[in-house]
Amino acid sequence: MYVVGNILGKKHQTMAYPAAVNCSGAARRILLLPTTTTRPATRSFPGRLSAVTSRPITTLPSTPRTKSKSTPKTQPPTTPPPQPLQTRRTYHSTTHPPPPSPFTQAETTLLTTALTSHIPTHGFTLPSLTLAARDLSLLDISPSFLGPSPVARLIHFHLYTTRTTLPSLASQHSDLLSGLSVSEKFELLTWLRLKQNEPIIQHWQQALAVMAQPFQVPVAVRELAMLADEIYYLAGDKSVDPSWYTKRAALSGIYAAAELFMTTDKSEGFQETRRFLRRRLQEAEELGGAVRSVGEWVGFTASAGVNLLRSKGVRI
Amino acid sequence: MAAAARPALKRALPSLRSSTFLPRQQQPHCHHHVPTSRRSLSTTPSHRNDAQPTTPSDKETHFGFSTVTTSQKRALVASVFTSVADSYDKMNDLMSFGWHRIWKDHFVSTLNPGFSPLSSTSPTSPPQHILDIAGGTGDIAFRLLHHAHTVNSNPNVKVTISDINRAMLSVGKSRSAALPASQQAALSFVEANAEDLRKTRPLTPILSQTEQTFFDPATATSGLEDDSVDLYTVAFGIRNFSDIPAALAEAYRVLKPGGVFACLEFSKADKHPLFNSVYKEWSFRAIPLIGQLVAGDRDSYQYLVESIERFPRQEEFRDLIKGAGFRVSGDGGWEDLTGGVAAIHRGMKPRE
Repeated sequence: MYVVGNILGKKHQTMAYPAAVNCSGAARRILLLPTTTTRPATRSFPGRLSAVTSRPITTLPSTPRTKSKSTPKTQPPTTPPPQPLQTRRTYHSTTHPPPPSPFTQAETTLLTTALTSHIPTHGFTLPSLTLAARDLSLLDISPSFLGPSPVARLIHFHLYTTRTTLPSLASQHSDLLSGLSVSEKFELLTWLRLKQNEPIIQHWQQALAVMAQPFQVPVAVRELAMLADEIYYLAGDKSVDPSWYTKRAALSGIYAAAELFMTTDKSEGFQETRRFLRRRLQEAEELGGAVRSVGEWVGFTASAGVNLLRSKGVRI
Repeated sequence: MAAAARPALKRALPSLRSSTFLPRQQQPHCHHHVPTSRRSLSTTPSHRNDAQPTTPSDKETHFGFSTVTTSQKRALVASVFTSVADSYDKMNDLMSFGWHRIWKDHFVSTLNPGFSPLSSTSPTSPPQHILDIAGGTGDIAFRLLHHAHTVNSNPNVKVTISDINRAMLSVGKSRSAALPASQQAALSFVEANAEDLRKTRPLTPILSQTEQTFFDPATATSGLEDDSVDLYTVAFGIRNFSDIPAALAEAYRVLKPGGVFACLEFSKADKHPLFNSVYKEWSFRAIPLIGQLVAGDRDSYQYLVESIERFPRQEEFRDLIKGAGFRVSGDGGWEDLTGGVAAIHRGMKPRE
């Protein structure tokens, strides 16, 4: 979500700056007019110019997420894009509504009933779904409308609901989160997300096994990636350099490991899991630091070597 | 299915065909059809035959080029129907490299009929009634029964096989003789038009060649009640219906609230262009040829591939299902099989 915003943002910088600089006279006057009078003018100028006029020029190089709004291809917020594939990337847009749920109303009703009433007893299994269907005075056959694997759908629903409730959970704990550094914040947020598995932890190994099946892996990986992104977003990490990918990959790995660790953790309040999580995050930071140091050393040595050779008259 | 069974029958029974034995509901779904010179060939002969008058004969009749008596013919017809079922399986295997069995097994096992956890509130499994529409030869129905009775150990599941064509049903009926007695007892065969399930009648044996094998609603003796079915399945049949929305509305009517509509049908594989081009070559060139060589009827197989081509896309068909009032799942509402060559659509009738 950041990365696309980032790319769009960069594109925007290269595109919009010349536009803003080159537009002289009438166009510049339009840019400087107050909002009320620019409205009709922006309608007559499609695409980039209208987008530029909709905000003060000074805000252009700011955070990339808001900039995605100014690209010509962006759809108006009122019409959700048709494909979930396209909406996935705009999840964190502050100017767009969140993408529609991948679960329809009928599914949500059935899956929520299963999750709240029957998972603690029966786990992520077909009986949970069938009993939920009976609770809703549906039929034993009803869960089969969920698709080829109703159980995987149920697990996906758990992953989805826990991820989407994370922001409200974070705002509940805003007193704890305020004043923490970014790395401390995502330690806490990851912990909050892990704690969401607590009511179903005795069944979570089984669920992980289902999601590790070849057909379910794409869903599981996508959810994990979106969770990592969610946590980074909530932690307030706004950096948009190439480490965007490595940071999320690292957090995904750490989260998955901690989740697995938690399924066998018998300690009071899962304190062992929390220590495990902290150790892994610490290691990742150390490793990241080491990689950065090695990179700096290699870069310095290489450029020094080149300069040395140049000083000896080699044409490089 | 009907399309696959037709050619051997056409070859064997020209006189019967001319009067009675037609594709299941005469014409494939029309309003998506873009007529082309290539397509218009195949469906027309059966319509022409439809209009021809029958030549009833009490004593002597012909079977292919030979002249036989009525009683001899009855025996021959019976044997033809047995061979139809065999060549039908052979043709399906040749056309799909045996893969249709995988599709059907997957279709049935994902529906999981008869699954019923026992709990303190319901110590016995509630009965389930499955309606297999266009189920003629019983391919799906026997699998459903096996899954419910053997895999899920739930004998409380009944299956009704419905087809518009008595000939196909008769094949299913004779094939069902090989099933265990408990499963036979759970089976029933009815003749019905899927577009109006208020009019049905139990399968009656075909006694003479002048009898119509195509179900006539005027002869109906019973009908399917509202809210009486748990699971409605239709596999490779809905493509041949002349009015798909009417059939879907009937499915909605007969299903209980919470009942599931499940449809296995050929679909579009154009998400994978390379694979799709190979598949199109295969279906438009090889399948009619195989039909000609193995079953001796090119037209029917030409019709088969053309009707597949005409059938609505996955999204359009999903919207038809939603339009009938069914609730579908959020991951599209369908499942592609073999890259979309076939697709399973599922929907649930909600409790209002």
